[in-house]
Amino acid sequence: MSETVLRVDDLTMHYTTRAGEVSAVNNVSFSLQRGQSMGLVGESGCGKTSVAFSLMKLLPDNAHIKQGHIYLNGTDVVSLREEDMRKLRWSKISMVFQAAMNALNPVYKVGDQILEAMETHGLVETLQSAREHIASLFELVGLDPKLMDQYPHEYSGGMRQRAVIAMALSCNPDIIIADEPTTALDVIVQDALLREMIELQKKLNMSMIYISHDIAVIAEVTERIGVMYAGRMAEFGSAVEIFKHPLHPYTFGLMSSFPSIVGEKRELVSLPGEPPDLINPPSGCRFHPRCPYATEICSQQDPEFKDLGGDHYVACWHPLEAN
Amino acid sequence: MRRYLLNRLAQNILIFFAFLTLVYVLVDAQPGSYADQYLSDPRLTPAQREILKKNLGLDRPVLERYFLWLRNAFRGDFGISFSNYPRQVLDVIAERAPRTIILFLTATILSYYIGFLTGKILAWKRGGWGEYAATIGGVGLYTVFLPWFALMMVWFWAYTLKVFPIGKFLDPVLWRQSPVDANYVFTRMLITAFLSALILFIVFILARRLNPAQRTPVRLVTLAVVLIGIFAYWSSTGVGRYAADILHHLVLPIFTLATVNFAGTMLLTRNSMLETLREDYIMAAKAKGLPDQIVRDKHASRNALLPVVTSFVLAVAFILDGGVITETTFSWPGMGLTLLSAALVQDIPMVVGALVFTGIMALSAHLIADLLYAFLDPRIRYA
Amino acid sequence: MAELTQSTPPAKSVLEIPLWQVRLRLLWRSLKTNLALFAENPIGLVGVAIIAFFFMFTIIHPILMNTVWDKNTYDPVVGYDAEIPFHPAPPSAKHILGTDPLGRDVLSQLMWSTRSEFILGLVAALVSVVIATTIGAITAYYGGFIDNFFMRLADIVIMLPYISILIVMSALFDLTLPVLALILGILGGFGGTTIIIKSQALTIKVRTYIEAARVAGGGDFHIILRHIIPNLMPLSFLYMMFAVNGAIASEAVLSFFGLLNIRMSWGLMIYTSSYSGYLLDFQKWWLIFPASLSISMLCAAFYLVGRAMDEIINPRLRKR
Repeated sequence: MSETVLRVDDLTMHYTTRAGEVSAVNNVSFSLQRGQSMGLVGESGCGKTSVAFSLMKLLPDNAHIKQGHIYLNGTDVVSLREEDMRKLRWSKISMVFQAAMNALNPVYKVGDQILEAMETHGLVETLQSAREHIASLFELVGLDPKLMDQYPHEYSGGMRQRAVIAMALSCNPDIIIADEPTTALDVIVQDALLREMIELQKKLNMSMIYISHDIAVIAEVTERIGVMYAGRMAEFGSAVEIFKHPLHPYTFGLMSSFPSIVGEKRELVSLPGEPPDLINPPSGCRFHPRCPYATEICSQQDPEFKDLGGDHYVACWHPLEAN
Repeated sequence: MRRYLLNRLAQNILIFFAFLTLVYVLVDAQPGSYADQYLSDPRLTPAQREILKKNLGLDRPVLERYFLWLRNAFRGDFGISFSNYPRQVLDVIAERAPRTIILFLTATILSYYIGFLTGKILAWKRGGWGEYAATIGGVGLYTVFLPWFALMMVWFWAYTLKVFPIGKFLDPVLWRQSPVDANYVFTRMLITAFLSALILFIVFILARRLNPAQRTPVRLVTLAVVLIGIFAYWSSTGVGRYAADILHHLVLPIFTLATVNFAGTMLLTRNSMLETLREDYIMAAKAKGLPDQIVRDKHASRNALLPVVTSFVLAVAFILDGGVITETTFSWPGMGLTLLSAALVQDIPMVVGALVFTGIMALSAHLIADLLYAFLDPRIRYA
Repeated sequence: MAELTQSTPPAKSVLEIPLWQVRLRLLWRSLKTNLALFAENPIGLVGVAIIAFFFMFTIIHPILMNTVWDKNTYDPVVGYDAEIPFHPAPPSAKHILGTDPLGRDVLSQLMWSTRSEFILGLVAALVSVVIATTIGAITAYYGGFIDNFFMRLADIVIMLPYISILIVMSALFDLTLPVLALILGILGGFGGTTIIIKSQALTIKVRTYIEAARVAGGGDFHIILRHIIPNLMPLSFLYMMFAVNGAIASEAVLSFFGLLNIRMSWGLMIYTSSYSGYLLDFQKWWLIFPASLSISMLCAAFYLVGRAMDEIINPRLRKR
């Protein structure tokens, strides 16, 4: 077994809003090995992005980590001082943003924005070597190195996305979080970019957390999958396992709502209902109002998140295999 | 870039023409202008009236009069001021305008600098009673009735503490035995100020290329050299104390204006910063692990600066408006006071001259703003 | 949060309730959430409190004049207290804020003027906002020549030193309160407010419901009137607040120079004192202070309300 770069233990994070406490992340646990890629799937508003920002401790003022630990290379970042956390950001854990198009400051040259990150983390020995490093990064992500002296508005959407990926790689982080990095692009560019990112991750032996609402895409490219529902981790395991034997009814629902091109013909099932209100989440299992297999216990008691064998975790009273 | 600037230049010139036209219409379309008063003198015979009309050019068609006026305006010929008879309007403006410009430019630059710094910090540290206090205090200063506020300043600094003179441009008692007149001294003061500002600006800009360790010493040494140079020059001319007198009279009006204007800039910067802070690139900058100060000063404030620049331009365009109020309270003999007193005695040529002066000020301000925009925002520079 | 509650329509019974009732209910609900947002902000509440305080003056003054106050002594314009030998007299039980150099009661003047300040401010603001909203909606919707024309016009208007121009105008003809309100309204309406409202209208124009209205066969006029303008209303209302504050301040300055033809106003009160040579007489504070403070406070109040509304209407300023 290789080294664990990230372990999230029982993480709970709340937002305080005018309308009340929003439990955005609830008792989430998972771990990630070096060089491993992991997908985080769920409907919008299920807490995927909140998990990502908790990992970087880039939370707005009204968000509080209530309990749990995040071990980054063995250090618990939850209790870390802001100044020390700042040094870990980008050098240990970096991020490709959801709206990567806007993640570049319009008034500075793209190359300078990357250089700035390297400078902050003390990775610039001479300007020349730093620029060479940036040029090599540009080549790595398929951009012309000459572009580094241009401004973001001179780039196309796809180019900007690549530049942001180059920026995320610039300080050789252990983990890259990619938060739906391709949603703003057209489908063909999306697919190409996704594959390139995975290739890069393998080549550079980094770990990657890939966030998406599309379980089909995730299952195709990542090794492990975490399925989130209403701030909870519903199921966690290897991609193959989960795709072949989904245990949680929600995972099954998610998979059934996408047509499979290669497999046998299946009827598309859409999940009835909507994700719950996180200010007043349903009692017991949060999925029970939408679950076709729900029984009495589901609405009363919260199922435990446990290993059902083969490193395959699920939080459900009635895992599908059993049915 | 060039196309953008040419475009803006053409637009501004067009606007300036429209402005001149408006000033002309405003004066010419008045019922009962001074010419009518002059002509309605019952002692005039109809023949004499015709001759007078002809001499005044009132018999010509409106359009011709308009073009004549435009031509003269471009040659700087606004006629003779009634209230400063027999001085030319342009002559009066040449004397008074620098006094207004120096007063307002200093105050405006000062207030924008301080306002921007405080607004930035206010937006960054959001929430709490400090914010409410700053906002209410800022709004209070921003909306205060300016003549009254100026009066209070006079009361406090000049009347109670007696630190500064109560008003006026200079102290007549001191100047009685002066070998030179005020304009002579003031012109030299302006030249000194301009030259030293230029030298400092160039050195400060050049110093940016040096190592961080050398930057500050180089700048400080230059500043000291310039200050010593100014001091040496003014002691050698022998009229230093007269210059000091003018400076002494400048402090209170500048302080008053800067205090009032700074609040507006602070409030504007705060809002502009708050909008910028929601941008994704701010989050990205934080994620990169940049220290807060760099995120704030390099990434956020640079983008938040644009609306502030716009407001700065408008402030410069409104110099005459502010001038009327401040200069009246401080008896500062600038353009504002000139305009007000000219309007009160219906000195039309002077009024028109003053309005055109404002137009030119506003025009230059807008052009400078366009240049600044191009400098600050690469999206404009390369469009 | 405001959008959230707005977008949840009453689920089942929608078809049975008449449309106007649904609309009214939605309006009421959005009003309620916005009011709740507004009430959370002490800055806006301070503003509202000050405005309410001055509004009280306009109600109390006629009552006092008809009951307690003697007309000959307390009339704000022609009153004179003959029992006091020397005017201006300092504050006393009879004249809480003293008398002015002409023997008139300062408090009565102050209260009486409030009404004209409100009327001036509101008329100027209304004129300016009606013009700005109409032009903003039309220029944004049609674009092209109309757009270019009005935007260049706005460029000129924001360049005008309007206090100076009003001074010049007042020298050439009589400026009365309604004329002043109209001029200020027009200058504001064609100037900066139009630019801001137009840019907002541009973002509304590209929304899908405008497209939907067009597909459904709505004419240009219908779309502008029923879809664009209602959505511009919050912003228009906000800029009304700023326009009120601008109008009151302008009037005060012009009156202070004695350039307006009006019977009484706060600015004129200061002018009277300064005209009689009491401007720098800081011992007689009641001549300058009450009027100046009133001008400053009422302006600040409207500005504060505007700012508090800005934080509700402009989601980019919201805290969360």
